[in-house]
Amino acid sequence: MSRVNDVGGQSGFGPLEIEADEPPFHADWEARVYALNTALVRSGVYTLDEFRDAVERMAPAEYLAASYYERWLHAIETLVAERKVLGDG
Amino acid sequence: MGEPQAAFAAGQRVRVRAVDPVGHTRVPRYIRGHTGRVVEAQGRWPLADDRAAGAAEPRVETVYTVAFPARELWGGDGAHEVTVDLWESYLDRAAEDRA
Amino acid sequence: MSGEHASSTVAVRVRRLEERLIEAGVVGDDQLDAILTGVLNGASPVNGARIVARAWTDAGFRERLLADANAALPEVGLSMAGGIQEQRLKVVENTAEQHNVLVCTLCSCYPIGLLGPSPSWYKSEAYRSRVVRDPRSVLAEFGLTLGDGVRITVWDSSAESRYMVLPRRPDGTDDLGEEALARLVTREGLIGTAAV
Repeated sequence: MSRVNDVGGQSGFGPLEIEADEPPFHADWEARVYALNTALVRSGVYTLDEFRDAVERMAPAEYLAASYYERWLHAIETLVAERKVLGDG
Repeated sequence: MGEPQAAFAAGQRVRVRAVDPVGHTRVPRYIRGHTGRVVEAQGRWPLADDRAAGAAEPRVETVYTVAFPARELWGGDGAHEVTVDLWESYLDRAAEDRA
Repeated sequence: MSGEHASSTVAVRVRRLEERLIEAGVVGDDQLDAILTGVLNGASPVNGARIVARAWTDAGFRERLLADANAALPEVGLSMAGGIQEQRLKVVENTAEQHNVLVCTLCSCYPIGLLGPSPSWYKSEAYRSRVVRDPRSVLAEFGLTLGDGVRITVWDSSAESRYMVLPRRPDGTDDLGEEALARLVTREGLIGTAAV
């Protein structure tokens, strides 16, 4: 499906914001989100493709307003809820 | 029983299927329906569409690097080339391919 | 201020989620720590710079790297096993006639396990939307202007391969050894938005 993430060739996103000497993560929580996602994929809770799908299923306005790792967090929360891995549906 | 043969060879022209599947896919919109040239067959991997849909046995297919001239994608006078990595079932042999 | 507040709210959300997943035994505290240590200590553009410097000084390695990067990486003590899952690495070489630049228009595919997390601009809609259509204007924003005769290939990483650019060795570096050469290579050079 054509989803909000599929931006190749679109116009209107403005100039690039290039940060000099950018660190790997901008906040501890971003690093925690990265680690959680890696652990959940490696543990087989979901696949990387299912993760990408969950990011893409975000409502377009929400996707565009969210930061990169906020999208990841949203997708992890979505999949954890759908897989009922916390036992509470 | 060897490995299944790749359907396309380097240099062959292929057309990206102009379909918009339901659910996750790895075909960007900007190449759908466009014709490109196979650069190489990369290897075989489970189809992302199937894996994203939670298929127990996703189809395993050859993934190709396919190059598209900027003019084919955008018109205009762009002289560059864009390559995209595409699973076999995203592609058909281009009608004009006589190689 | 509101940014900081929003950030602390999301940090709390992450901590709660992490605690619940650990409590349920889905992930382990040690597992998360090991993943973070791996990416923060093991994955960095320095790895890419070492690969490039070796390729500049060892023609045989360069050839093996371009033919099959995964098989060549162990020669410099590296591998593609550090990411979420092991992926194929394809190294594309810049020449006097050919410049390569990398993108993932659909998400943010990048060899994280080898080079660390990608820069924010690489993940931005501004970069992903525009570089496939008008690479020269994007490269100009990075201060990179290529001659009219230079062909540009934009590699949109959309499946199971991850890419790295092998930049051209700068002129006047004949006297430099591998370590000094490696210090010339930047993360942007490995993506193709800088010359080196």
